[in-house]
Amino acid sequence: MTIPNQADSLLIRRIRDGEADAWNELIARYEGRLLAYVDTRLRNRAASEDVVQEAFIGFLTSLPNYDPRRPLESYLFSITAHKLTDLLRREGRRPTLPLMPGNASGDSWEPAGKARPPSSIARSGERRSLESSALTAAMTAQIDHWRNRGQWERLKCAELLFVRGLPNKEAATRLGISEQTVANHKFEFLAKLRTAVRGQGLPEEVFPELYEE
Amino acid sequence: MTTPIRQSDLEGYLDEALPPEQMAQIELALRNDPKLLAQVTATQSRRDSGVHSLGDIWRRGRLSCPSRDQLGSYLLGAMPDEQADHIAFHLKQIGCRYCRANLHDLETQQAEHQPTVQSRRQRYFQSSAGYLRREGQ
Repeated sequence: MTIPNQADSLLIRRIRDGEADAWNELIARYEGRLLAYVDTRLRNRAASEDVVQEAFIGFLTSLPNYDPRRPLESYLFSITAHKLTDLLRREGRRPTLPLMPGNASGDSWEPAGKARPPSSIARSGERRSLESSALTAAMTAQIDHWRNRGQWERLKCAELLFVRGLPNKEAATRLGISEQTVANHKFEFLAKLRTAVRGQGLPEEVFPELYEE
Repeated sequence: MTTPIRQSDLEGYLDEALPPEQMAQIELALRNDPKLLAQVTATQSRRDSGVHSLGDIWRRGRLSCPSRDQLGSYLLGAMPDEQADHIAFHLKQIGCRYCRANLHDLETQQAEHQPTVQSRRQRYFQSSAGYLRREGQ
């Protein structure tokens, strides 16, 4: 997992103090990976550099809202992804999804959703963040446990099932193990997450995958 | 042969997190398949209404991504075989776009023409420095 590091936190503090050197340092540290991320998609160096440039501007304008507990790299990648998405949509490469009714944000990349009053959205946003953090902590603990014990097969299996979304059978084939072993790994992982969700008193209905047969 | 588009692929698509070839495949399919477009719209709707997906949380939190230092050690061949094997799996089988970008950057860092890099960074700085200000001002 990418976690916030001390060097990044210090850099952010200096940028928040308006230090130009710190801003230069952040650009030098991150522009290469952001450019690689964009350019593999666009295959157009000049356009990719423009997207990264917009992302850096977006970072500075959003800095007052940046939560330093969030890893800086992930935050920069997410801003860059939004800028890239905007460009692809403007170019007609990325289809526009229907907008949700009453979307007052003006952020046209946000597609459809349930129309709810702002107070409800704000409240559920906090709640969702809490739920997501609880599950992140439980999943991270399990991943660390696998890593520390060298249980790489279990980690790979979980990645195939939950990140790639493969069915058990295909995961089994890719890993060269039996479907039953995949099912066992999955069962154990989900059981641990369910325990964490119950332990935190979180609503089960917002994590439907944990309760699927 | 095209691979089937799964629910988790649509979630990754919405986050611009899939490998480029898979993103292009989904974009093409969305243009030609109204059912798939409805599915991706419904996926976004579910997110908006607060339903969590394990894949979303895993991908956004980058829970199994190696650190940049670990990727560097991987490039140098300076890590235990099993750990290196997992990183190769993460890059190739999972297709982690962020780790691929990091690896590509590490690979090309030394090879890139330094004056070109400096000029690019200078351009980024000059175009954005006007937004730099002490907080509270």
